Amino acid sequence: MLDRRHLRTVDWRLVTAVALLAGLGLAMIYSATYDPTSGRVGSEFGRQVAALAIGLAAGVACLAIDYRTLADQWRFAFGALSVLLAYTLLFGDEVGGGRRWIDLGPTSVQPSEFARPAMALALAALYTRSPGWPRPASDWLIGGALVAVPFLLIAWEPDLGTAVTLLPVYVVVMVFAGLRLRTLAACAVVGLLLAPVVWAYGLEEYQRSRLVTFLVPESDPLEAGYQQIQARITVGAGGLTGRGFLQGTQNRYDFLPAAHNDFIFSVLAEEQGFLGVVVTLGLYLFVIFRSLNAARVARDRTGTYLVVGIMAGFSFQVLYNVAMSAGLAPVKGLTLPLLSYGGSSIVATLMGFGLVLNVGMRRFTN
Amino acid sequence: MEWRHEAAGSGAIGRLLVVFRCVVVIAFAILAAAFWRVQVDLHPQYLERAGSNHQRERPLRAPRGVVFDRDGRVMVEDRDALNLSLVPARVQDVERALDLLARVTGVDRADLRAAFRRRRQDSPHRPIVLIRDASRAQVAAVVARRAELPGVVVEPTPVRSYPGATLAAHWFGYVGEVTAAQLAAAGGTRLRQGHIVGQSGVELSYNRLLMGVDGTRHVVVDSTEREIGTIGEEPPIAGRQLRLTIDSDVQRATEEAFHDAGFDGAAVLLDPQTGEVLALVSLPSYDPNAFARGIDGDTLDALNRNRLSPLHNRALQGRYPPGSTFKAAVAVAALEEGVITPDYTVRCDGGAHHYGRYHRCHARHGVVDLEAAIERSCNTYFYALGARLDVDQIHRWATALGLGELSGVDLPFEARGLVPSRAWKRERSAEPWYPGETISVAIGQGQVGVTPMSLAVMMSSLVNGGRRITPRVLREFHDGVGWRPAPGSPPARDLQLRPETLSVVKRGLWRVVNGAGTGRRGRIPGRDVLGKTGTAQVISRAGRATALAATPGTGSSPRTLQDHGWFVFAAPADDPQIAGVVFAEHADHGYLAAPIARHALNTFFAKREGRELPPLPPAAPATPHRPQPRAPEAVDPLVIGGD
Repeated sequence: MLDRRHLRTVDWRLVTAVALLAGLGLAMIYSATYDPTSGRVGSEFGRQVAALAIGLAAGVACLAIDYRTLADQWRFAFGALSVLLAYTLLFGDEVGGGRRWIDLGPTSVQPSEFARPAMALALAALYTRSPGWPRPASDWLIGGALVAVPFLLIAWEPDLGTAVTLLPVYVVVMVFAGLRLRTLAACAVVGLLLAPVVWAYGLEEYQRSRLVTFLVPESDPLEAGYQQIQARITVGAGGLTGRGFLQGTQNRYDFLPAAHNDFIFSVLAEEQGFLGVVVTLGLYLFVIFRSLNAARVARDRTGTYLVVGIMAGFSFQVLYNVAMSAGLAPVKGLTLPLLSYGGSSIVATLMGFGLVLNVGMRRFTN
Repeated sequence: MEWRHEAAGSGAIGRLLVVFRCVVVIAFAILAAAFWRVQVDLHPQYLERAGSNHQRERPLRAPRGVVFDRDGRVMVEDRDALNLSLVPARVQDVERALDLLARVTGVDRADLRAAFRRRRQDSPHRPIVLIRDASRAQVAAVVARRAELPGVVVEPTPVRSYPGATLAAHWFGYVGEVTAAQLAAAGGTRLRQGHIVGQSGVELSYNRLLMGVDGTRHVVVDSTEREIGTIGEEPPIAGRQLRLTIDSDVQRATEEAFHDAGFDGAAVLLDPQTGEVLALVSLPSYDPNAFARGIDGDTLDALNRNRLSPLHNRALQGRYPPGSTFKAAVAVAALEEGVITPDYTVRCDGGAHHYGRYHRCHARHGVVDLEAAIERSCNTYFYALGARLDVDQIHRWATALGLGELSGVDLPFEARGLVPSRAWKRERSAEPWYPGETISVAIGQGQVGVTPMSLAVMMSSLVNGGRRITPRVLREFHDGVGWRPAPGSPPARDLQLRPETLSVVKRGLWRVVNGAGTGRRGRIPGRDVLGKTGTAQVISRAGRATALAATPGTGSSPRTLQDHGWFVFAAPADDPQIAGVVFAEHADHGYLAAPIARHALNTFFAKREGRELPPLPPAAPATPHRPQPRAPEAVDPLVIGGD
C-alpha cells in the first residue's frame, strides 16, 4: 500500500498550500465566532479542529489505497452515496424546511458534500472502462444517468445549490473523456432554451425569490436580500488592507448571517482587506494548478479523470462562494472548501485532496 | 496497462488542462477585479454603511429648567422617576412575566399587555416601558422578585414635577410629547419625535429656554440591537432656570379665598407700574403632574369633557360681559371726548327713556355727578353718557385701556375680547349701528366681552397715570452664568389721558370701596383700595324664565344660570402697587367677588411689610344674603334684560 517511495513523491507543496488554507480558515472561524462581550470563542472552533483531524485521517486513507483499487470499487462508493442520500431524504433532520443532515448524536453529517468526490471517482472509472474513441452517445447517457441519481436526491432535499455543483464534475470529466466541445455547446443552447420551463416548473418558490433577490437585492432587503447587501457591505468595509483581525464590525456585531460557514470569505475580506483576498485567491489558484499537475502526470486516464473531476467541483465551489461572499452571486448554501466551518465539507474536501495526491504520487507505479 | 491516454491522446489532455487553467485564471482575475471595485473603489461608501449598521445614537434627555417664583421658591422642577420596563430578549415567557408583574405591582394586566403590544415590533433588546413613573412600592416589589422577573428593568427618567399640584396650574401649563404639528412648525431642527415639550402656559411660551439641549450617547449595537458598549458621549445641557413674577403666597391666598367662597372663576393680580403678574388664577384647576407622567386617555378625556373645563384658562381665554366694571372705561371716554365735564349731573328716577325705549336703573339715585355715578354704579347716568357718546368713541378709549385687545402677556392662547364699533358691525352684518345699542354698551352689556386679563390691564392704566403696560410673567432667567433680566417687553405706552380724567375716575373708584358703593366688602382700613364691581349677565331675564320653566321644581334658579360677579381693584390709591381683577363664576353678585380680592390684597401687603400672612377671614354665609339697601347693584342686569 503505502511505502517510502510514495512518501517521497507526494506533492508536499500542494499539501502545504492546503494546510495553509485550512489554517487560515481556522483563524477566520475564530474571528467569526468570537463573542466580544464574553471574550470567548464559539464552540465551532474546536469542532472545526476535530473535523480537520478526522478529515486528515480520511484523506490519508484515500491516499493510502491505490486509486485504481478505489476506482474498481466505484459501484460501492456510488451505492453507498445513493443509500445515504436516500436515507437523508427519508429520515434526515428537518431544518428550515429541508432534510439535508443525518443526525449522529454528538454531530451530524451532510452526505451531499461527499457526492462530488464520489461521483468523480465513479465517472473516472466509468470512462476508463470503455476505451472506445470516439465514444458512443450511450457513454454520455450512462454517465448522465449516474450523475442524475445523486443530483435528483440532493435537489429533492431541497438543496439545488449543492446538486448543481455535480454538473461541473460531470461536464469536465466528459470533456476530458472525449466529449466534443461542439456537442457541449449544443447542449448549452438547449439548456438555455429550457431555462424558462425550468423557471416555471422546476424551481421552488424560495429558489425563484432568491434569484429575483439576487438580480434586485433591494426588492427584499430584510430576507434573502439582506444577506447579499450585508455581504457586500462587509467586503466593501474591508478596504485595501482590512480592518484587522477581530476588528470587523460587520462580523463582530453579527450583521452577516452564517459568517463562519457560507460567508467566511466575507469575514476575511473585511478583516484582511483586498490584500488578504488576493493572497487567499492566490493560494487557491496554486492549489488548483498543483492539483491539475497531478492530472497531467497521471499514469492513466482514471487518474486524470479523477483529478479533473475533483478539481472541477472544487474550483466551481471556490469561485461561486467567493463571488457570493461579495454579493456577486445569488445566496446558496455552499461552503468555501477548506475555509468554511463544516465537518462534512472539510472531511469531503480533504478526502478529495487525498485522491488527488494519490494520483500524483503513484504516477510511476504500475 | 498500456492504454494510457490512448483515447484522446496525451496531447489532447495537455491542451484541455491548459484550457482548464486558463478558465480558472480568468475567473479568478474577474473575481479579483470585482473585489477591487467593491473593496477599494467603493470602500468609503461601504465603510459608512457598515458604520451606520452598528452605531446608534441614544438621546440623553436634558432636564428641563427649574421654575422659581419671585422669591426663589421652586414651582416646577424635574424629578428622577423610575420606569418599569421589559426587555423581551431576556424573557422566555412574556405572558407569564406580564402576569407576575401585574400581580406584584397591582397594575391591571390588560394595561401591561397593551403597553407591551404597542412596542412589540421593536428590537427585543430595547426595553419596553410598561409602567411609567412607578411608585416606590412597585419598584420595591419588582426588585424583591428580581429572580423571577429577569427581563424587568428599572429605568431612571426625568419627569416634570409640580410640587404645588393644582396651584397656579394654568400659569405653568403642562408638558407632553411633541405633536406632529409642533414638529412640522419647528422645521425639524430642534425638536425630534418623542421630545417632551411645553404644551401650555409658561412651559409652552418659554419652551425654548426650558428645554435645554439633549445629549447623545454613541453606542455600538449588534444586529439584534443589543447594546455592546458606549464609544462616546455628549452630555446634555440642562434647560434654563426661570424666575417668574408670581408670588406664590399671593397666588395661594387668592386660590384659597376662591375655595373658601365656594366659587370657580379667575383672578389676575399685577403690579400696575411694571406689569409684573403676581397671581393668575383660573378655577377649577387641574394637576399638571398627570400630564408629565404621560397622561392616560381616560384622565385627559375626563378633563376635556368636564363641564367646568378645568383646562380652560379663564383668566386669558374666558370672554365675559364686563358689566358695570366697563363704566370706568365709558367715564374715561366721556371725559376725554369732552362730551361732559366731571360736574355734569343726571337725575336718576330709576331709569330713563332713550331712543324710544325705557332703560331701568336698579335704584333711584336722585341727582348724581360722575363720581357719584361711579360710586353707586348708576345706570341712568351712564345711559345718558351712552346717548352723548358715539360707539366708536367708547371703542377708541376702551381699546386704549386694553379692553377688546390682547394684553400681550407672555403666556400662550390669550383670547381677544370684543368692544363693538361701527366697523365691527359693518363687517358682521348688513345693518348699520343703531345709536340705541350704544345705551347698552355704556353699561357694559350688549355685545361687550372682555377677558379678566384685559380688565386687569385697564385697572393698571387707570391707576398708574394712564400708561398702558404689558403684563409679564417672566422676571429673569439663568443663562448658565448668572441671572439675566427677561427679554424686554414693549415699554409702557402713555395713553395721553388728562390728569383730571384720571383723578375723577379714581375718586369714583375710591368711593365705590370706601364710600356708599357696591365694593365695600373690599375695603381695607388704611389701604385706600380702589375698586368697581360688576355683574356679567349669563342669560337674559326672559331666557332665565324659559330655562326655569323647562326644569320645574327646583325653586330657585340653578347655579349655572346665575350671573358672574366682577371686582376690579387697585391699591393703595396714592401710589398703587397692585391692581387686578377677580371674576367669580356664577357668584350672582359682583360684591361677592370683593372679599376674595380683599384677602389677596391683605396677603400682598402683609408679605411686603414682612408681617405674618393673614388667615382666611371667617367663612362667609353659605347663601349670599342681600347686602345693605344702598348697594343694590345686584338687580341691575335683571332690570336691563332684553337684548
